[in-house]
Amino acid sequence: MIGKTDERETSVLGATISRRGFVKTGGALFVSLALPLRFATRAEAAENPTSIDPTSPASWLEIRSDNTIVARTGRTETGVGITGYYPQTIAEELNVRPETITLIMGDTDRTPDGGYSAGFLSGMTNVRKVAAYTYQALLGLASTQLGVPVSSLSVTDGIVTGGGKKITYGELVQGQHLELKIPVEGTLPKPDPAGEVGMTSLDGVTVTGNPPMKAPKDFKVIGTSFPAGHIPDKVTGKTRWSCDVVLPGMLHARMVRPATLGSTLVSAGTIDKKQFPTAEVLRKANLLAVVSPNEWEAVQAAQSVADTTKWTDWSGLPGSENVTKAIRAHKWVRPSESKGKAAETEAALQSATKKISATYEQGYVRHAPIGPFVAVADVKSDGIVTVWTHSAQSQGLRARIAYVLGIPVEKVVVRWMDHSGQYGRTTFGGDGAEADAAVLSQLAGKPVRVQWTLPEDLAWSSVSPAWVSDMTAALDAKGQIVALHSAQYAPHMEDPRPLGALLAGMPCAASKPGGWVATEWPYDKIVNRLEDAYGMPNLAGDSANGGLRGNIMRTPGQRQQNFALEGFINEAAAAAGADPIEYRLAHTTDQRVINLLRAAAEAANWETRPSPHGRALRSGTAPITGRGVCIMVRSNAYWVGIAEASVVPSTGVLKVTKFTVGCEPGKIINPRQLDRCMKSGVVMGLSEALKEEVTFDKSKVTSTNWNSYKILTMGEMPEIKVVQISRDDKGFGGGSEAANALVPPALAAALFDATGVRARRLPLTPTYVSSLLKA
Amino acid sequence: MATELTLSVNGAKQTVTVDPDTPLLFVLRNELKLTGPKMGCGMAQCGACAVLLDGKEIRTCITPVSGVAGKQITTIEGLPALWAQEKSLSASDSETTLHPVQQAWIDEQVPQCGYCQSGMMITAVQLLSKNPNPSVDQIKDAFTNTPPSPHLCRCGTYAAIIDAVQRAAQAMRGEAR
Repeated sequence: MIGKTDERETSVLGATISRRGFVKTGGALFVSLALPLRFATRAEAAENPTSIDPTSPASWLEIRSDNTIVARTGRTETGVGITGYYPQTIAEELNVRPETITLIMGDTDRTPDGGYSAGFLSGMTNVRKVAAYTYQALLGLASTQLGVPVSSLSVTDGIVTGGGKKITYGELVQGQHLELKIPVEGTLPKPDPAGEVGMTSLDGVTVTGNPPMKAPKDFKVIGTSFPAGHIPDKVTGKTRWSCDVVLPGMLHARMVRPATLGSTLVSAGTIDKKQFPTAEVLRKANLLAVVSPNEWEAVQAAQSVADTTKWTDWSGLPGSENVTKAIRAHKWVRPSESKGKAAETEAALQSATKKISATYEQGYVRHAPIGPFVAVADVKSDGIVTVWTHSAQSQGLRARIAYVLGIPVEKVVVRWMDHSGQYGRTTFGGDGAEADAAVLSQLAGKPVRVQWTLPEDLAWSSVSPAWVSDMTAALDAKGQIVALHSAQYAPHMEDPRPLGALLAGMPCAASKPGGWVATEWPYDKIVNRLEDAYGMPNLAGDSANGGLRGNIMRTPGQRQQNFALEGFINEAAAAAGADPIEYRLAHTTDQRVINLLRAAAEAANWETRPSPHGRALRSGTAPITGRGVCIMVRSNAYWVGIAEASVVPSTGVLKVTKFTVGCEPGKIINPRQLDRCMKSGVVMGLSEALKEEVTFDKSKVTSTNWNSYKILTMGEMPEIKVVQISRDDKGFGGGSEAANALVPPALAAALFDATGVRARRLPLTPTYVSSLLKA
Repeated sequence: MATELTLSVNGAKQTVTVDPDTPLLFVLRNELKLTGPKMGCGMAQCGACAVLLDGKEIRTCITPVSGVAGKQITTIEGLPALWAQEKSLSASDSETTLHPVQQAWIDEQVPQCGYCQSGMMITAVQLLSKNPNPSVDQIKDAFTNTPPSPHLCRCGTYAAIIDAVQRAAQAMRGEAR
């Protein structure tokens, strides 16, 4: 770089553009934060070839002289298509082709913003504004260069034209080092034991102000099925996954976990050095591992150490068959959150002529990725810690690792890489193998790669807690709901403590147990409603190792609460003798609900009639068919699920023959990616509805492989029909994850339609269905 | 005891010095740096580690490396070469042509997280080598009942996989879409 910083600054809509200097080759416009943020030291940044100015925070966008664009975000590809819709969104506001954009994700030392990878709406708004500010700055530069007013300029594919002249974005930045600072608020997370999940905030940085943005009617890239950029390298084997990290001198580790969820170490087993010459046992408190330069030696030696290690006995779990009883037995005091009108709802229920009530429940389920947790950590003697991870919260993980090791956040670098989907368990930057790896690397003085096994993952990773919901409604003479009260009771699902730190007895910033009301109310005609959510600590949370650590899982809160709410709406419809779709339409004036319900009903050839079906049967060996419906509103997206199923009463085997899923998420960004997410969401929802439950005895989890924790196979997948409605007048909604939540209530309703039997617990296994049919 | 073994992987001879009991998966990933196959369950219950052995799917997480010497091993990294060989493509064409199964996986936007998809593509290649025009039911059977265990995808991409297998089948039959 040559030349001096040009102090002249120009302000554009609250963003400030300045020329930092001139360069011999290349040139770029760097878009960065207008808030001072501390990042890696100059020395660390110097090793980072993508950071051109090592003293600056990593830029958000770079417009380069070769007409390519680099976009950086701390949010990551979790399998729902961010590598498609982020470039689309940026390209739309900049008027460039999305193929010219390279996305760098997740690394804490080369991305500026932090934030939740699941935070589609906030992340999307951020990148859109970043691009919009940049577009205005580029127009200003072009206006100066061409001598044409901004109002006379237009841009297509990165070429600015006006007044008979044209110039590319690349030419605008050629030979210069320009910097655009855009206004932001928020900070990157720091440990804070008093914070909600033990952190200051995991929201990351938010772009403020209101730069002009394109109207949906003018979109050219948004609304097309631009391919997600992560796919080709994954298909050819070129992607470097977090499990592929190899460092000089790296040791492979296998963990030796306690005998039970609450056991502590009595004595660690030893290694036969003749048999395993390069393996070693590492231990810190109850954290026990075997490391070796050779992975197979680590596996075998860890098995032999496990065989001779002694742990204390412990039993403090209720057993999974008693989980509802255990939740009921908690001394509940008051809800963590309530929504609605308490007094009016109570009064309406008291004075009701007809009341219905029911209890819904579910056992523990879990995220259960195909790839167990894996991480590599390198704790250097100079105190710099680098962690290679697939966590969905890189900045949160960074702060958490710093807290565990008792070092400043600035000393930790988190490098993100692809891995198996996590479905929410790493959202708070806690669950995973990273703390194991960091503690072991500190002990070994070498980089350590920790690979969990499937049985270990299914026994020790965090879980989506069991819950119970009590539902009560008052009906008027026509069967219309005039008041509804729901109360959900559950262990909390925001435990961010890393297992490795818990076992090693190191500091863990924890969260406060609590529940929340997740449902977004679609029934505006039900004026008197009260929704209560109660939270309690983990089951066996006072044990040495934290008990069953709860964490959020795909479509959290609503997945559970919507099963209760929509199941109960179906019960009320049946009590009123009404068709379940017509009944819903009678309880709302929300045109988005109405439009989508009608479209999905038509697509599914829905026959208007009450449930159960006139042919409903509780016995016999012939399959009986039924259908059921549910709706959901979530994050400005509207959803409908319609299940068609058959059940054989003599066996209780429930089979889904067709599932229609409808979504109206405002403007659809990428129809094919949404189609993929809707169908895959239905598969995950079917899996949960039909098969999934974590089983445990008094001391440990017992569903620790794919034969005991069963998930849906391809052979069990029904025909899935997708209905999409895109509209230009409602902004953007969250469409990528929620389809799974539609399956359980719709399927339980289909079972009712076929048999007249109401299932109020998940999963709908043959044993459970049989017991209902025989009752 | 470490022993020298010669393997035939993706059309090339490879010599490794390893404990003969080492699972093939670790040899492929750690010795030969072929990281397409993934560590999943470690007990042949999920299919993430699948490769072709003489054209038939095996689970490398439970297969000792000593048992595969002298046989042809194909990972997803070797699928383009396999296709080039089958179609006698020129050297330049073979460098730029993916196996139709891989191309269909891209065109149908199959992977979500993608962790299981290496194994899924292996099964697809095996299926299409025997059945050039599989029905939806035959595809479901090939991923569920035929392999050592059902191929599992937690993201739930089964519908996309079915679309992609049918697209690849069409391409391999030489039919335009």
